[in-house]
Amino acid sequence: MRVGFMAGILGGILLAHAGYATIQYRGMLKIVEEEFSRPPMNVVVELLLGLAFCIWAALAAPAKFRSIHPDSEENRIVSLPTNLDFMIFNHRGKVFPCNAEYKLKK
Amino acid sequence: MVGASEAARMERLESQVENGGGGAWEYLCLVRKLKARRSNKVLKHGLSILNDHRARSKLGAEEWTLYEQVAFAAMDCQQHDVAKDCIAVLSKQFPGSIRIGRVEGMLLESKGAWAEAEKVYARLLDDSPLDQIIHKRKVAMAKAQGDLSAAVKFLNKYLEIFMADHDAWRELAEIYVSLQMYKQAAFCYEELILSQPTVPPYHLAYAEVLYTIGGLENLQTAKKYYASTVALTGGKNTRALYGVCSCSVAIRQLTKGRNKEEKEMSDLQTLAAEALQRDYKQRAPNKLPLLMSMLKNMKLNS
Repeated sequence: MRVGFMAGILGGILLAHAGYATIQYRGMLKIVEEEFSRPPMNVVVELLLGLAFCIWAALAAPAKFRSIHPDSEENRIVSLPTNLDFMIFNHRGKVFPCNAEYKLKK
Repeated sequence: MVGASEAARMERLESQVENGGGGAWEYLCLVRKLKARRSNKVLKHGLSILNDHRARSKLGAEEWTLYEQVAFAAMDCQQHDVAKDCIAVLSKQFPGSIRIGRVEGMLLESKGAWAEAEKVYARLLDDSPLDQIIHKRKVAMAKAQGDLSAAVKFLNKYLEIFMADHDAWRELAEIYVSLQMYKQAAFCYEELILSQPTVPPYHLAYAEVLYTIGGLENLQTAKKYYASTVALTGGKNTRALYGVCSCSVAIRQLTKGRNKEEKEMSDLQTLAAEALQRDYKQRAPNKLPLLMSMLKNMKLNS
């Protein structure tokens, strides 16, 4: 997870740097009075690298992803919850011997 | 709905707590969340926390919820004095509370004093006439006294007001099934499936009720609902697979002599039979011959 965080920070820094480089490039173009069509190749490479790092961080930094299938081994419904609102006490448990050691101390 | 991972975690915590490892409070919280009915374990471990001053003070405000949970568990285990002590502590802390009044009513119920419990609930209903749990306790009292028709009447009146309470619909369906009023039970299950269509047990129960009622149309609908259970559980529900096979056999018995729709039915049945065989080979290979002979009988009966 730490690698993920590092990769995310690195990707963010790369993107910010690419943005700054593009702004500087545009400033230079204004001096030379040319049209701004696209940023220079190295900035494009830097953008793609930053994108790759950020995607890796987004997938690696969070903990283990949980399954979304309703019938996967961990999500499948094993039983319905017992209806405790309608719980009745008139069952065979009455004939069990009374366990005298259960007491609530003050 | 109790998921498989949560149920496994609860079993693990239970064995851990039983064998002396810590984690009793975590176990009690999980039991409360999953609404499991493990009264003897809850009583034992809840009392061990409550009787220990340090553990009790560590809980803070959740201590009162634990008192309530232990009171219910004590009532279920017929330890009335423990329950009375818990209620006394709670009523000292929260005097005049309706929630505590409810617990008192349940204590009277568990002792079998129906008339007094009735009086307590009537008094609480005067204060708050729309308390769902008290209405449900009246139904439970009627059920405990064996008067299922009165329970049905109370439940129907309750459901006219609180139509969205799916626990109540489920309870009504189960009471109808025990009274063998299957058509009404089918209606209740339809309401449940309408409100929660992705829960496989409701589809399964509905299919079983329809299969019990019988008749060609009901059998065909039952087969569809067994198939939908199979779809919702990813083919892992053995009971639904068996249901598909049984429905096909029953339909074929009823439509003997009519040649109309044999082809489309046998696809589903052969697939279900194959899935059953694969499942048995993987999980219970020594019972596979039983399955094979049963499937052969089913095909022969057509």
